[in-house]
Amino acid sequence: MKNLKKLLCGALSVTAVLSLAACGGQSGDQTASGETGGDVPIIGICQYGQHGSLDNCREGFLQGLQEAGLVEGTDYTIDYQNASFDDNLAIQIAQAFSAEDAALMVGIATPAATACYAAAEDKDIPVVFTAITDPVGAKLDAGNITGTSDVLPVEGQLELIRALQPEAKTIGIVYTTSESNSVYSVSVYQEKAADYGFTIEAVGVTAQSEVTQAVDSLIAKGVDCFSNLTDNNVVGVLGSILEKTNEAGIPVYGSEIEQMKMGCVAGAGLDYVQLGIQTGKMAAKILTGEATCQDLPYEIIENYSLYTNSEAIAKLGLTLPDEIAQQAEEVGGQA
Amino acid sequence: MSDLIVSTLTQGLIYALLSYGVYITYSVLDFPDLTVDSSFPLGAAVTAILLLGGVDPWLTLLCAAGAGAIAGLCTGLIHVRLGVRDLLAGIITMTALSSINLLIAGSNVTVERAVDTIFTSAPVMALLGDLTLTGRKLVVSLVLAVVIKLLLDLYFRTKSGLLLRAVGDNGTLVTTLAQNKGNMKVLGVVIANALVALCGGVVCQEQRSYSAVMGIGQVVFGLATVIIGISLIRFFTRSKGAQSLRKTKGLRFLATPQGTTAVLLGSILYKFCVQIAINVGLPANMLKFITAALFLVVLVIAGRKGEEIIHA
Repeated sequence: MKNLKKLLCGALSVTAVLSLAACGGQSGDQTASGETGGDVPIIGICQYGQHGSLDNCREGFLQGLQEAGLVEGTDYTIDYQNASFDDNLAIQIAQAFSAEDAALMVGIATPAATACYAAAEDKDIPVVFTAITDPVGAKLDAGNITGTSDVLPVEGQLELIRALQPEAKTIGIVYTTSESNSVYSVSVYQEKAADYGFTIEAVGVTAQSEVTQAVDSLIAKGVDCFSNLTDNNVVGVLGSILEKTNEAGIPVYGSEIEQMKMGCVAGAGLDYVQLGIQTGKMAAKILTGEATCQDLPYEIIENYSLYTNSEAIAKLGLTLPDEIAQQAEEVGGQA
Repeated sequence: MSDLIVSTLTQGLIYALLSYGVYITYSVLDFPDLTVDSSFPLGAAVTAILLLGGVDPWLTLLCAAGAGAIAGLCTGLIHVRLGVRDLLAGIITMTALSSINLLIAGSNVTVERAVDTIFTSAPVMALLGDLTLTGRKLVVSLVLAVVIKLLLDLYFRTKSGLLLRAVGDNGTLVTTLAQNKGNMKVLGVVIANALVALCGGVVCQEQRSYSAVMGIGQVVFGLATVIIGISLIRFFTRSKGAQSLRKTKGLRFLATPQGTTAVLLGSILYKFCVQIAINVGLPANMLKFITAALFLVVLVIAGRKGEEIIHA
């Protein structure tokens, strides 16, 4: 009984100390925003993790807000948090946004967006997402939420591969089974491949450590090339994939500009800064009250760009058709 | 501000269910169970699919716990009947389960706002309809965390519960009592994983989403909360005098109301540490570092105080 009492005391004091500490942090934030001028609406940005494409999205988003004529400090303040690819962290970040009565929450990548949407439910705070491939599948297409989708230009990619490798028959794809964006993209590849005379050899992995093994097995099966998606897990070890494929003399096509810089031969890819800008402009409309999420259906970026890495192309003995060379942007990365 | 405390407290209370599970395996049974990383999303997967199928939200939680119990049964039997080492038995079930989770619910499932969860179900709305959603989440998770804690405390006092505690502490004793040590171990792992999957189910309802990767790092979280919680409890029990020192020397001695209170507090403290790290406003990439630093501070303070008394 005595122990119980002590425990209770302990529990209470711990909670009290914690509350104070939390209060301290919070009031600090409030004075900071106070200095920038009264009741400035807060935009909470929850980015799922540190990743080139996602960083580009966020930078584009901030640019988009400014292009829409809003000024940081007077029209809005940014509370940016990064969840380090941790779903639980994303949840708590989103709850902190709700607690500080953010005017708008931004979720970059699916887990961040779902966390924001859950935390926003109580106060019905609008949520804007970006870098989600399949908002319909993630059921983020209705309600007080909108944003931009980064569907990969699969047909553009297949066309490009056909142009560079007229004889190729099979395309190898390694993807992570738990990344819904990748699962969706692979299904699109499988659906469209036959139209361009390809078959797809896709291998799903569950962890980053399995990626190179999957690549080995596809090389052994004799695929003619690889198409690399925007799969977070796989992109993380793209460097070592390229070492293997270069040794085997198999070209790898990328889906984003950064991948060509790392040594993929070419790719039809999205410009994530552009995606971010488009998202920022949507957010600006919601923030100023010009429109609500319901007025703005989610948007898909359809314009893609072709990127080439001529050094990598030459090294693998491919020839780049002139009409592609004219359209494409040469990124000139390593081979 | 108070919102932030309420929602953080809610997280701590919900995840306490998982901590109870890890506490049973790690502390009480002395069984390092890695099944958790997959039984947690298993509970969420089952809950998500059933919720979308229109099943009563409370019933989905029972199903989630049942699924977790089966997962635990697999780990337990692989260890006890097939003689695979405990750590490996957990790894085997965990690995196999990640495929099962994908089969059940794919990589992601979102539960629309139109679907009722335990926090918006009719009985809860009837009782707490005046509260905001955040408020209801707090009350419901508080009730869940406390009721399950009390049930566990009661169980530890039954014959079966006492045997379970004895297995982790002194297996030979259990054998000399003509009881099957293996069966008790299996039972413990079953209960633990049922709790973990239950936690996954509640998280799924609270977040309205399931993801195949939501289990990553849950074992680490569970262990951290158990250790932090127990250090804290020792800190408070020792500071008032050394009489209980001997009793609390081994972690396993804490299979008592104190132990479950400890992990409940540990879980809440963990979530507050993370929230404080988010709120100090340092560069976003430093979040994990700050969280780790806060844990270190807690453990060192709790540990030092204990030592002082030992030396005194």
